[in-house]
Amino acid sequence: MTCQNCKREATVHVTEEINGKRREMHLCARCAREAGYDSVDDPPMFGLEGILQSFILAHVGEMVGELSRRFCPLCGLKFMDFRGQGRLGCPNDYAMFDHGLAPIVRRVQGASRHVGKIPARRGAAAAGLNRLKLRAQLRDAIEREDFEEAARLRDRLRPAEDDR
Amino acid sequence: MNIDDLTRTSGEWLRGTGPESDIVMCSRIRLARNLADFPFTNRAGRREKNEIEAAVAASIEQGKIELFVQDVNNLSNLDRQFLFERQLISRELRDAEGPRGVAFSPTEDVSVMINEEDHLRIQVMHSGLSLGSVWDRINYIDDRLEERLDYAFSPRLGYLTACPTNVGTGIRVGVLVHLPALVQTKQIEKVFRALQKINLAVRGLYGEGTQASGDFYQISNQQTLGKSEQDLIRNLSEVVPQIIQYERGARQALVGEQRRQYLHDQVSRAYGVLKTAHTISSEETMLLLSSVRMGINLGLIDDLEIPIVNELFIHTQPAHLQKIQGRILETDERNVARASYLRNRLSNGRHDPKNDG
Ligand SMILES: [Zn+2]
Ligand SMILES: [Zn+2]
Repeated sequence: MTCQNCKREATVHVTEEINGKRREMHLCARCAREAGYDSVDDPPMFGLEGILQSFILAHVGEMVGELSRRFCPLCGLKFMDFRGQGRLGCPNDYAMFDHGLAPIVRRVQGASRHVGKIPARRGAAAAGLNRLKLRAQLRDAIEREDFEEAARLRDRLRPAEDDR
Repeated sequence: MNIDDLTRTSGEWLRGTGPESDIVMCSRIRLARNLADFPFTNRAGRREKNEIEAAVAASIEQGKIELFVQDVNNLSNLDRQFLFERQLISRELRDAEGPRGVAFSPTEDVSVMINEEDHLRIQVMHSGLSLGSVWDRINYIDDRLEERLDYAFSPRLGYLTACPTNVGTGIRVGVLVHLPALVQTKQIEKVFRALQKINLAVRGLYGEGTQASGDFYQISNQQTLGKSEQDLIRNLSEVVPQIIQYERGARQALVGEQRRQYLHDQVSRAYGVLKTAHTISSEETMLLLSSVRMGINLGLIDDLEIPIVNELFIHTQPAHLQKIQGRILETDERNVARASYLRNRLSNGRHDPKNDG
């Protein structure tokens, strides 16, 4: 079936009652979005994703004080950004925002400790965190246009990558 | 190997072999992994995403893992849609921006998405109810990648992911099941509610909501923290046989004394339309193929094999038709091309799509 507005394939099919008259609409995703049937084409929010969103909206918004001002120096994420997107910015955020995240994780997952596979190479994550810090400094240096420092940081990042 | 080569083959997961493959189309596991030394994809800059893609590609090459690495960022929309229809990339990777890629095996049982929501989304699919072999394969691929990649991992929280809904094992264990009889007998909603009560998610073939195409449904775990991979696999492995039993029960009711002729008629008409139509939409094709697939499994059609039907579900999708025809087609042209392709594949003894004019 073709979209009634343009020639693309219609993927959204809506039946509406306006003043007692039934009206069928067949629209492509783009036209549907423009007509305001935004959520029709997207998979509905259900399961953990839905729980996460509703929990974040209900609770993180009220968080005040220290946590709401906190941000991760390695990726720049503020805890309030997490509220908007439901996505974290870097591996360091789990430690950085532990206080705020732990109840969310417990609620969403019904558990708070990992059980299962662990990486074979111990210490890889710690070495990675060090390089994550160097990368944050590198981003800063580039922003400041301190190209000498940037070059120095790139050198420090390079051998670590080649040694593996 | 390149994308055009794929139009002449199909993934091994469509073979229709393995336990319970009349109902369980395939078993699938995915693992979410991130590199410890980069921001998550949504916070990574263009340069960093390039480095992530290069690091993953290098680990595949140096580890001699048999995967073909395909850049996705510079592909045409058609090729991206093609990989999506193929189940090799997700909707999210298809629609994202910036450096990203996918690495897949020649048989398409393995695909590793790079710079999806997480740096790596490793996926393995095998035909039938075969979660054990899928786990063995994906665990091996994960081990091999980890030899050269520093994964973000915390002893307390496990594998760290961009979204807390995936943290821990980062695993999603799923099966793709074909449930036409439960749909037809209007019992499917009841099954969904029961599954949701035990914390399992239900999606359509392409991740859509409840109105799934072709009566295919993906059922998967949601919890990723606090249970081991083996436990989560066992949980699903225990539930799936019950769903299979419900579906078989519903099919038996449909072929039972009074209704057999009605079902036989429906299946034969579906087969007839697919063999003779000159223009047909994607939705109608999925609907009719679903009937035909059930008809074969119930012995109502005997001159057509399941793997061909499985393949037709994928090969009649819009981007596949256009790749097979070698040009961009408008909706009307696609409907004509789809009908012609179906007539050709379903006429006896001519199964080579290249014979089609
Ligand atoms: Zn339109
Ligand atoms: Zn961070």
